[in-house]
Amino acid sequence: MRAAALKAGATVLTVATTVMSALYVTAHLKNPAAPLQPTVLRSAGSSTVAGPGGTLTLGPSVQPSDVQPVTSTYAS
Amino acid sequence: MPHSAPLEEHHFEALGARCGLFAVGLSKDRLVEGELWTVRLGARLTRFSRDSELSRFNASAGTWVEVSGDLEALLRESLHAFETSGGLVNVAVLPSMIGIGYTKPLSSGRLAATVTEMRPPPALPAVLEVKRRAARLEPGAGIDLGGIAKGWMADRLCDALGPNALANLGGDLSAGGPGPAGDGWPVGLAGVTVLLREQGAATSSVRRRRWGDGQHHLIDPRTGRPAKTGLEEVSVVAATGVEAEVVAKTALLIGPELAPVFCAARAMAWWLSH
Repeated sequence: MRAAALKAGATVLTVATTVMSALYVTAHLKNPAAPLQPTVLRSAGSSTVAGPGGTLTLGPSVQPSDVQPVTSTYAS
Repeated sequence: MPHSAPLEEHHFEALGARCGLFAVGLSKDRLVEGELWTVRLGARLTRFSRDSELSRFNASAGTWVEVSGDLEALLRESLHAFETSGGLVNVAVLPSMIGIGYTKPLSSGRLAATVTEMRPPPALPAVLEVKRRAARLEPGAGIDLGGIAKGWMADRLCDALGPNALANLGGDLSAGGPGPAGDGWPVGLAGVTVLLREQGAATSSVRRRRWGDGQHHLIDPRTGRPAKTGLEEVSVVAATGVEAEVVAKTALLIGPELAPVFCAARAMAWWLSH
């Protein structure tokens, strides 16, 4: 009789723990809007301009200017 | 803050291309010295002269030969470029260059359009060993330093010209210091002016140095033939001139799908033209 009571108690405790865990996890879902990658992998600060001849991308360390260039990079 | 010292510039032909040196607060004589350095070193590193140090090194394949500090540094830079480009920048393409008929400077006349049977060049580390002031090539291998020499020389020149200078050797350029107005050196990149400061830039293209039926000078080491990747021109800004040269050539060779990702990881600005 006592052994049966212990088995029943253990079963009730296990089921209760499982149910409570499921309820807790459901109530604390991971933010579905969280980014899937670190922001460092994004091209933050860069700008891309597409023209008829190709695409120019400037990173944050290269600033455009309106002044006349003193020289250019070119194919030789 | 604008600089009061004047901008001095000097233009000349060397390495088979137009070159320009620019500096703030430096005499014209110093820039002319830069031209002389470029011409002398270029004469030692060209493959088109049988008497050059590079040609003698190529002709001595199979034996250890003494090399100058400049050639040693360039060979080490070439091995580094091979590693960082995944083997796409491979200066061991000389046999392929000769195979497609690129046997003399284009300025000296038309090239033969005949193409012999081509094979991919060997991996550079498999045919080139470099020690202090000595190097060895495997028999049958040959080196063409190409754009790596220009980028490397532009970096050396920029350092030698002082704290506020720019060296442009045939489109491979290196810019040091704050520039003439203090906010960077204004440089043309794909029709846009950008300000460079302690940076380099280079362009790799298959639109120049063309001959015959679609032959051009940019060999794809995967095939041993002139590259056909869907990209025709790539310009890059990177930390140094030689790095810009390596990134630009690698991006052109890997083609339009992977080039934007590669450039985003390795370059500070880039122009991809189809």
